[in-house]
Amino acid sequence: MILAALLIATQIAVQDPRLERLDPETRSLVVTVVDSARAVGLPGEPLIQRALEGATKGAPGARIVAAVRRLATDLGTARTALGTRASAPELEAGVAALRAGATPQVLTRLRDVRRPPLTMALSVLADLVASGVPADSASAVVLALAPTARDADLVEFRRAVERDIALGAPPGGAAAVRALNTGVRDASALGSQPGRPPRRP
Amino acid sequence: MFEQEDDIVERMIRQLRRAVSIDPGLDARVMSEIAHDAPPRAAGRRPLLRAMPWLAAAAVLAAVVLARPWTRGAGNGSMDAFQFVLVAPQAASVSLVGDFNDWDPARSPMQTAHGVWATVVPLAPGRYRYAFLVNGSEWRADPGAPAAKDDEFGTPSSVVTVGGKGS
Repeated sequence: MILAALLIATQIAVQDPRLERLDPETRSLVVTVVDSARAVGLPGEPLIQRALEGATKGAPGARIVAAVRRLATDLGTARTALGTRASAPELEAGVAALRAGATPQVLTRLRDVRRPPLTMALSVLADLVASGVPADSASAVVLALAPTARDADLVEFRRAVERDIALGAPPGGAAAVRALNTGVRDASALGSQPGRPPRRP
Repeated sequence: MFEQEDDIVERMIRQLRRAVSIDPGLDARVMSEIAHDAPPRAAGRRPLLRAMPWLAAAAVLAAVVLARPWTRGAGNGSMDAFQFVLVAPQAASVSLVGDFNDWDPARSPMQTAHGVWATVVPLAPGRYRYAFLVNGSEWRADPGAPAAKDDEFGTPSSVVTVGGKGS
């Protein structure tokens, strides 16, 4: 049965006309990675999209294959942390959080304290780090907000922190102060000192 | 010297403690004046906008640029329509490419009005990487969206996340 599933998955990948944008050698290697991922229950679509991104951006085949392999590995790590019931969008957001510097333990804790879907919480975590907030501070803030905050609240929180950073606030301090303003009372739980408060217009 | 100062302070305190008589109709007259003055004050702002119509236009443009990508409400099923905007007055063409359209520049060409390029794309819940392709060769990230830090192909990209149920 596993062999049959593998064959079907291989056929699907081989027949996917989108991958014809890759040169034959790169396409063959990408199909192998996609098939392997699907065989263990990981989503194949993110891998295909990463390969297509590389093709459109004119990246060398070796770099495309390396990126797809790395993503497959990270999707596996994210699934280990988030559990086998995690959806494909949650796994992708989990990869972004891991690559931003969050630990697998943070992902697991997030799964334990927040109702699914976790996509937005994981994504906000990754985006905060991308804005300059230290990974441990961002992890602590998102974990503190996660039990009660709606997705829209998390997005607004991220935007507020980004605005404060743009106005000159230190990223870690901006995240901590904004979290305090949303009702997170214990600043020490945020993993960093608030420091200088964010500047206002 | 201190006694003289004490005297002065005492006199000041006595003066301040004296009852002040106020005309009982004062409140009514003040409120009447305020009500009478209100319309001219509001009208006084109009010449500013007449003199600087570009101010209103800039405010509208800023609101559009800063608010994107924005949700326009649920579409078919769990799809939400997102508008993507890039201000590129010098560009001859701009395409939106990303995980949602197979990174195919032909799928989402953007329309322009006075250098502001825009397109609307329906998105299902998830996290998407994307970028703008300007003039068919120049990659630009979305200045109004979080940057994709794990770019492995040497060009800037952005991310947009669409929440699921309960968001």
